[in-house]
Amino acid sequence: MKSVPARLPLFAALAFLAVFVLVPLAVLAAQTVLGPDGVTFDAWRAIASDEYLLAQTLATLRLGAAATAISLLLGGGHAWLTTGRDLPGASWLGPLGVAPLVMPPIFIAMGFADLGDVSGFWPCAVLLGVSSAPFVAVLTARGLRSVDGRAYESAWLLRGRPRAELWLLRAIAPELLAGCLLAFLFTVADHGVPEFLTVKGKTWHTYAEGIFSRWNRRAVGTTFAELQSPIVMAVPFITALACLLWAALRLRAHAATGIVRPLPVRHLGAWRWPALLVPLAYLGAGIGVPLVVLARWVLGSAQRLEPMSLDYARQSFAKAVDQGLPDLMHSLWLALGVALFVVLLALPLARQSARRWPALDFLCALPAAVPAILLGIALVRSFHDSPWLRALGGDFYAGWGFAVCGYAARFLPFAALTLAAQVRRQPVAAEEAASLVARSPIARALRIHLPPLLPATWSAAVLVFVLALRELDLAVVLPAANATAVRRLANAVHFQHEDWSGVIALLLLCIAVLIPLLPTLLAGRRLSSLS
Amino acid sequence: MTLPVVVTELGLQRASFALGPVSFAVPAGGRLAVVGPSGSGKTTLLRCLAGLERPSHGSITIGTQVVADERTNVPPDRRGVGLVFQDGALWSHMTALQHLQFAAPGLSPADARALLQRGGLAHLEQRRPDAMSGGEAQRLGLLRAIAPGPKVLLLDEPLRSVDVHQRDSLVLLLRTLADERGLTSILVTHDRDEALALATDLVVLHEGRLVEQGAAMQLLREPQTAFTAAFLAGAACLPTTADGTTRVTTPFGAFDRPAGVTADLRLVLMPGDTTATALARGSTALGATGRVLATLPAENGFTVRVALGDQIVLARSTEPLAVGSPVSLSLRQPARLLPWDRGTSTFPTADSPTAARR
Repeated sequence: MKSVPARLPLFAALAFLAVFVLVPLAVLAAQTVLGPDGVTFDAWRAIASDEYLLAQTLATLRLGAAATAISLLLGGGHAWLTTGRDLPGASWLGPLGVAPLVMPPIFIAMGFADLGDVSGFWPCAVLLGVSSAPFVAVLTARGLRSVDGRAYESAWLLRGRPRAELWLLRAIAPELLAGCLLAFLFTVADHGVPEFLTVKGKTWHTYAEGIFSRWNRRAVGTTFAELQSPIVMAVPFITALACLLWAALRLRAHAATGIVRPLPVRHLGAWRWPALLVPLAYLGAGIGVPLVVLARWVLGSAQRLEPMSLDYARQSFAKAVDQGLPDLMHSLWLALGVALFVVLLALPLARQSARRWPALDFLCALPAAVPAILLGIALVRSFHDSPWLRALGGDFYAGWGFAVCGYAARFLPFAALTLAAQVRRQPVAAEEAASLVARSPIARALRIHLPPLLPATWSAAVLVFVLALRELDLAVVLPAANATAVRRLANAVHFQHEDWSGVIALLLLCIAVLIPLLPTLLAGRRLSSLS
Repeated sequence: MTLPVVVTELGLQRASFALGPVSFAVPAGGRLAVVGPSGSGKTTLLRCLAGLERPSHGSITIGTQVVADERTNVPPDRRGVGLVFQDGALWSHMTALQHLQFAAPGLSPADARALLQRGGLAHLEQRRPDAMSGGEAQRLGLLRAIAPGPKVLLLDEPLRSVDVHQRDSLVLLLRTLADERGLTSILVTHDRDEALALATDLVVLHEGRLVEQGAAMQLLREPQTAFTAAFLAGAACLPTTADGTTRVTTPFGAFDRPAGVTADLRLVLMPGDTTATALARGSTALGATGRVLATLPAENGFTVRVALGDQIVLARSTEPLAVGSPVSLSLRQPARLLPWDRGTSTFPTADSPTAARR
């Protein structure tokens, strides 16, 4: 048995999960039956009669399905064509599959909105599909790299090339499914893009957006049932999503691991050059178009400046330094703090779920299944004017500490699940060998358990850093996070501030790219290690 | 100082597997091997000794300290045992020198280097496990286990991942280091040769139960159960049928049941217990008949592998016999009738005759 001090990190992480995930969601659930006049099931009854709410939910599911299909086509197609293929430039196009992840979805939406009319269902699905495609791309590429090339060759020899490709597709199905599920979760949970497109003339609404808009109108006399019914609807919704996530995790856990021979290079034949269209379309939509639009803003396009000029860019930069730099720095420090905090929480949780308590995966995955806006509302409802927080002294609720905790609750699944998968790959016997050595638990943790996890820890920290940097939904709700760059940019474009907003956006992207690239640049690792 | 190990009525209950009760004792400085086929519970037993599993009942005593019983479970790092894992279980991110320094905090770099030198790994002190051969990795696993100065050395099939050429040198190193340090060693393996190379006494396990224990050579020559004879000596164990209460029928004829044994018996044919002779067309066999699988030259004749039902009998022959030809097998020794294992039969006492009379 481990001593209590050795288990302190785990207890602290479990306490965090309880306080910042379970309690807020439980409070929210309880409040659906605790109306102004005591216990009431009005909110639950309202669901049956609220056609608007049902329409929102159906619209969200349709949007989720369509965006996921687009993510699968673009992200999955990108990985399928660049991993172990003879596509021209595959060696550098492949690692770039992860690049659109650094682009906040709202930037992609702003970019496309600048080019033309993006109102309607399909433009929204395309925008969200493109922004979620990196999840499918990264996991598909990873699946393809983990398939044993000899097994593929056996299938090829026995059943021919087309059947071998089908076999390969089936072999990576768990990764594909997990990627699609992540894309679906991010799409249905996104409130920022649909809300932005509403301003641009959209005539339909989504579920996450509905939760926010009703919650936002709580001060203008909306009834209890109207306010609560979207949240009530969230209960079965979240449960279904969490179950899907759980299933995907289990499937991935059963996928083959170990040392494998890489897949042989699979030739595209006559499709070699035409197939380039898929990666180019994916990268063009995911990073190319938004970058071009942001660069044009910096040069004065939004101000109808003809011709655009570098002088104007210099002015934009000066305005950005003057008006937006503090927000950018807030974003940077918040994202760094969240990444560090999440990794510290995720490590003990990952070890526990991988070695002793697999069901902990489910608990860790829960925040990923909750729309971020709902988690944010739950946090605000639970801790706004909380006597517990007042007891901590200062204004913790309005400060950065609370924002870091909120973001950490949101992004904990991505680090905890990544690290748990990595812990499962480590041989148990090596850890047992360490348990025979007369060393302190801390020495064992630092010298034996942690070093093999360092690459995965860095990957998890980078993922959380990038996701925190681009997070808009929580930034809208949590007080301190209101001052982040993404939140300010989403507002600034409504006030014709595209010029300096573009500079801030480009700087934000530079940070999001440079931090993950740091070890690659310093240690000279191959680009493929990025994904 | 060397310490004895005493295991008393040890058992571990799991949903799909039960170990024990198992009792044995290893004297201070003794070398014991626990042998048995896969799934017999030998690794589970070793893990209980190391403290990596908590037994459901029974006790383990090392020296005078009870390290595990109903109330006590001394953590692995406080038992004073070293464990050499099956596949090394090395720490992939550490060099050979770092392995020893982490395992034994009090070991100076010079002492660690001397130990590496002793194990023939001096030239690999800055290498990580992925840059070592199977034999080198297993040597490092051994050095890591003994570096803190344990009193008891536990070995989990240490030769399994080592190629044939490196086996002998590793066996020599293991025995030398154990003797030099006066270590009590307990080995688990399913490999008879590995057991005989590293241990003087054996405990035979089968399906979680202790079948037999004793001096290795004694068990090899005079096994008390058919299972031990089959597992250790490669004996063929032919089923018998009861012929009344006092006699049993075998392919070689009917024999008297040994006194005091009531269980199902097997006719145990140790290698060389039978003589194979070519069976001419139309002639009648004197004993059992089988078919030749292979003929190999041996001292004073040939060793013939003969298929007899679903068993393989190693018989002697004075002439090479053609593969596939029918042969007659006759007994060269008195028939040896033994119960399959102790768990399902009345075990013969030490002085009861196991040699049956025709």
